[in-house]
Amino acid sequence: MQDAITVLINSSDVQGKYLDSTSLERLENYFHSGDMRAKAATAVSANAKNIVTQTVAKSLLYTDITAPGGNMYTCRRYAACVRDLDYFLRYATYAMLAGDTSILDERILNGLRETYNSLGVPIGGTIRAVQAMKEVVTSMVGSEAGREMGVYFDHIAAGLS
Amino acid sequence: MSVVTELILSADSEARYPAPKELRIFQDFLKTGDQRIRIARILAENEQQIVQNGSMRFWERCPNTPSNSGNERKTASCQRDQGWYVRLIAYSILAGSEKPLEEIGTLGIKEMYNNLEIPLRNLVEAMRCVKEEAVSMMSEEDAVEVGPYFDYIIQALS
Repeated sequence: MQDAITVLINSSDVQGKYLDSTSLERLENYFHSGDMRAKAATAVSANAKNIVTQTVAKSLLYTDITAPGGNMYTCRRYAACVRDLDYFLRYATYAMLAGDTSILDERILNGLRETYNSLGVPIGGTIRAVQAMKEVVTSMVGSEAGREMGVYFDHIAAGLS
Repeated sequence: MSVVTELILSADSEARYPAPKELRIFQDFLKTGDQRIRIARILAENEQQIVQNGSMRFWERCPNTPSNSGNERKTASCQRDQGWYVRLIAYSILAGSEKPLEEIGTLGIKEMYNNLEIPLRNLVEAMRCVKEEAVSMMSEEDAVEVGPYFDYIIQALS
C-alpha cells in the first residue's frame, strides 16, 4: 500500500528528484489534516457496529435481497454480507488515514467483482449499501471528515461498477 | 513505507481499527509536518553545496581516495551518489521513517560498493563529512532530526 507521503516519494524517486513545490504543498495539506483524520477514525471505530447496522437498515432490509430467494436470505449469507460491510468500513477508514486509495485496490477491490458475480451477490445492491454507508458515516463524523471518508466509499463503489 | 503506512499495516494484520495510542502517534507525527517539509527544502536547495563542501572536508582527511584520484568520472560518480543519499534522507525525513532510505539505498550498499571497489572506510568518512556539512546548515532542532539518518547509512557501511 501507499499513503499520501510515500506515493509522492515513490513518484519523485523514479525520476531521481526531490519533491517539487506542488508535491510539498499537497503534503503540507495532508500534514495539516491530521487532527481531522484521527478524529474521524476514532468516531468510526467507536461506532463501527452501529454504522453497519444502520447501513443495512437503510439499504438492504425489506428488499428482495433479504426475502426468500434473495442473496441475503439465510442467516449465513446475511452474516457474510454484514462481514463484508465491516471490511469496507474498516478499509475505508485506513485509506482515509493514509490519504490514499491504494489499500482499497490491493485488499478489497482486486477480484471482488468477479468473486461477487460468481457467488451471485448483486453488484447493484452492494453499491447501494456502500452509498448508504457513506451517508450514515457523514451524519456521524460531520461534514468535513464525512467528505474525506466519502472519497473512499466512492472509490469502492466505482471499483465495483 | 512511512509512519502512517506502518501503523495501518499493523492494525490490518490484526483486523482491527487503529488503537487510541496509534492514532495519537499518527496525530503527533502529522503535527511535525511543517518541520519535516522545512528540512526537506533545506536539503533539496543546498544539495550541491553540501556535497561540494563535504568533498573538500573529506579530501583533507582522506586525500588518497577514488574521488580525489584525478579521474573526473570517478569524482563525479562519487559526488552524484552522495547527492542521492542526501535526497533519500530528505524522503525519510518526510516519511518519518528510515524505510525509504533502507529500501532504496542501504540494502545491499556494502555489496554494491565492494563490487565497485570503493573502500568502505573512506566512504564512511565521506558520509561523516556530508553529514557535518548538512547539519551545519540548520537549526539544532532540525539537525537532531537529520543526524540519525546519516548515522544509519554509516552503520550500514560499517
